[in-house]
Amino acid sequence: MNNPRTSLTASAICVAIVALVSPELVHAHVSEQGLVLLLPTAVYITSGVLAVVLTILLLAFMPVRWTHALFPNANATLDKKQTTDRSTPQTNEAAVESVPSSVSSKTDMSGFNRVEVTLSLLSTIFLFALLWTGLTGSHDPLENPLPLFIWTIWWIGFVVLQGVFGNLWRFVNPWTGLYQVAQGLLPVRRSFHLPDWLGVWPGVIALLLVMTFVLADVAPDAPERLSRIVALYWLFTLIGLLVFGEQWLRRCECFSMLLSRYAQLSVVGKRVGSLRVGFPGWPAFVTRATTISAAVFILVLLGSGSFDGLNETFSWLAFIGVNPLEFPGRSAIIDKTVLGLLAANALLIIVYAACVWAGTHWANQQAGTGTSVSFHSAFCQLAISMLPIAFVYHFAHFLTAFMVNAQYAVAAASDPFDSGADLLNLGTFYVTTGFMNSHHSVEAIWLTQAAAVVVGHVLSVILAHAIALDLFGSARRAIISQAPLAAFMVFYTFIGLWLLAAPRGA
Amino acid sequence: MTDSSNVPPKKSATDKSRRTALKSIAAGAGVVAASGTLPGLLGHAQAQSAEPIRIGFQVHRTGIGAAYGRWYDRTTEAVVKRINEEGGINGRPIEIVAEDDGTDPKRGAEVVEKFANQHKCDLAFGTLFSHVVFGSAPRAGELKIPYFVVSEGHHVASGKLNRYTLQPGITDVKSQVEAMGPFIANNLGKKVTMIFPDFAFGHDHRDYFTAAFENQGGTILEKIAIPPTETSFTKYFPKIPRDTEVIYHVMVGPAVLTFVKELGEFFGPSKPEIFGFIDSLEAVDLASPGLEFLEGTYFWEGMPRYAQADQSEFDKTYRAAVGVDENGASVSDPKDVSTYAHMFGCWETLYVVKAGMEASGYKGPDDRQKLIEAVEAMSDMPHSNEHPQGAKRFNGKTHQTFGHQYISKVDNGKLVLAHTTSIEDTLYEDEVDYTKQAF
Repeated sequence: MNNPRTSLTASAICVAIVALVSPELVHAHVSEQGLVLLLPTAVYITSGVLAVVLTILLLAFMPVRWTHALFPNANATLDKKQTTDRSTPQTNEAAVESVPSSVSSKTDMSGFNRVEVTLSLLSTIFLFALLWTGLTGSHDPLENPLPLFIWTIWWIGFVVLQGVFGNLWRFVNPWTGLYQVAQGLLPVRRSFHLPDWLGVWPGVIALLLVMTFVLADVAPDAPERLSRIVALYWLFTLIGLLVFGEQWLRRCECFSMLLSRYAQLSVVGKRVGSLRVGFPGWPAFVTRATTISAAVFILVLLGSGSFDGLNETFSWLAFIGVNPLEFPGRSAIIDKTVLGLLAANALLIIVYAACVWAGTHWANQQAGTGTSVSFHSAFCQLAISMLPIAFVYHFAHFLTAFMVNAQYAVAAASDPFDSGADLLNLGTFYVTTGFMNSHHSVEAIWLTQAAAVVVGHVLSVILAHAIALDLFGSARRAIISQAPLAAFMVFYTFIGLWLLAAPRGA
Repeated sequence: MTDSSNVPPKKSATDKSRRTALKSIAAGAGVVAASGTLPGLLGHAQAQSAEPIRIGFQVHRTGIGAAYGRWYDRTTEAVVKRINEEGGINGRPIEIVAEDDGTDPKRGAEVVEKFANQHKCDLAFGTLFSHVVFGSAPRAGELKIPYFVVSEGHHVASGKLNRYTLQPGITDVKSQVEAMGPFIANNLGKKVTMIFPDFAFGHDHRDYFTAAFENQGGTILEKIAIPPTETSFTKYFPKIPRDTEVIYHVMVGPAVLTFVKELGEFFGPSKPEIFGFIDSLEAVDLASPGLEFLEGTYFWEGMPRYAQADQSEFDKTYRAAVGVDENGASVSDPKDVSTYAHMFGCWETLYVVKAGMEASGYKGPDDRQKLIEAVEAMSDMPHSNEHPQGAKRFNGKTHQTFGHQYISKVDNGKLVLAHTTSIEDTLYEDEVDYTKQAF
């Protein structure tokens, strides 16, 4: 019998030899991208970029009171302090949460009622059922409900719903119900405190690890493997929650953090204990970051999402020396993908920091009334303005994948245990990608994606302007402070639209 | 023989489990009994108590092969349903164990290992992309599990793999390309300019076709290699010699539509004859913008996408079972064009497996070598419901099948069959004799 390790090594050597001596045929075929390449995307991209430029110009001349009307908390936020030294980060937990008392934290469990606890417990049971199907059901990731639910329904669909309708995660979080029950049963309710200096860095690292898994792993969809990973993560989080309390969800559990952030882009939010409706993103305006780590979390959301689009393009593949028509598979470029992900995030943070520094420096140099604003404060608070871009890119990037895989999810829901059942009475059910094969539907999809990207950037520009007004006190200084960041957003509009239009090979 | 085209197809996932496999056998037995076909009924009776034959289906569910994988999966489900309804193999139902290889060679090897060690499959089947075959075949050889690929690559017949790897259900690209030489030389012109992507795929076309065409007395005037990252092609067209009679193109990737559109704009109405491989436009609707220029041009097809005027009963049966209409699109969505030129390979391969297992009296993994020897002993396979693409001639020494190739002309936006090659046109000298290798 072969020693498995020896056999694997022998396999690897054989593959290498064959690959060296024989450049073989690798099928590479036309795809839906072909139709996108025929669209007048250059015109669309130019229009989108001009829309953002126009927004910036309009904001420059817009009366300040209009901005205050959009964001009514403009004069009552936690960071509007008339101080000349804002370099010392707030290290208490409230600061880490980035949520003022007037706005409910999206993961704050203090107000949980029985309905929410029950829903959370049901969600936990549902997750366990999914994990079971992952272990025992079909090995095909497009038939097994687990990967379809995790990556399509939840990671794509639910995240978008969260951004549109607000904090739905509060009701279906699979830990909080159990935690509440455990709290009621435990004799001692004392939780350990995570050190303040830790900020939300654990969440940042967790997010990077998740994105590494999503982008670089060879089989992130494999049902059994995914089931074990999700189960371990669920258990790890539950233990963290029991030991450190609810702060774990705000500082270490990256999905709750991510979903909480995206919920702040909704028109709906809680203020002074009651639900309010306002301009999209008003909760984000109020709950902006006050620590470096919280700001970096938002930037990593954007950087990782952008790299998720970039790493499929001809340009990236050519850059790392891969023929886009002969993509060798993920396993051949794991190191490059990981380095690329880290580099993309590092580059984004550096460019963002440079823009903020330059804007702050110029604004502070302006004579007249007002106080000096520290780079630290501007860096932290303006980061939230990147959130709409990250969100709309998430929507645009995954739209077509959702349209296809949601069909598989429906089929899987009808036969969750791969037993031949047809619970939804679907009858003959064929998944289709025909909408990617028609000029009109491809154009409609592309324009929907592009419109989302432009709207997201417009919202980002408005949000940044409102924050700058709040920070710098005068319209003139705010506009000056915003110039570099506005230019950055215009450039990022171009990048976002270009990513949608660029030929892809992986 | 029972014609399963009359049996309404079940939901897509229904043939995946043993339970359902037995269920579909029961359904099929009813049809068989009604038609009085006794062997099928006996098979059904045996199957009621038989363990399924577990076939590991290595499928490109994700990665660059996913578009093909979807149709390979659909074809595989259709053929398994049909075989099971006919009584299975040796009275045992087929159970498909599908695993996604991510169109990745390393993952492909892992999947083969799972088939052999974890899922206890009798054999592995289904791989399309060549680099995944290269990554997986050595592991299949080490684990001594038969590995039936549906890849179209020349890798099997080239002798670079091993005795456990076979390709009995689809012809290889070397025979496809070489068989085009006589038709082009005799019907389209003797002076050819080739336009191909500048990497292994294009180079193989360049080399195979050049040799075959020059044997026919033809001349390759120019070989225009296009960098793989190119998305605009107009600057390359002035290199096409003025006395070119035929353009042979094999462009692939997302820029193909742009290539065709720009080529049309370059030549206008007075274009030379143009010949291409449908690989460029597999699963693409010929009604796509820019493709009007293809009117009157020729394509190689592995199997005619459009039902022809003289469509065989076998093609009708096959289309109905897979759920493909007369235009090669899904019956549920006319815009969802199938990978019709390739996916028949899954259908035919599983019928070869069935024939091999029946000939060898296959009972379980201990009989794997007998199965391979039985397949190696095969030769001519008639055009039939089991081989709807056409007759085949399997070469047991090279583990590669050979068959008719189809050349179609675009006529009113549809591909109309213009020529069918003989099997002899597709043959070439053996490059290996796997039967001399020890198991």
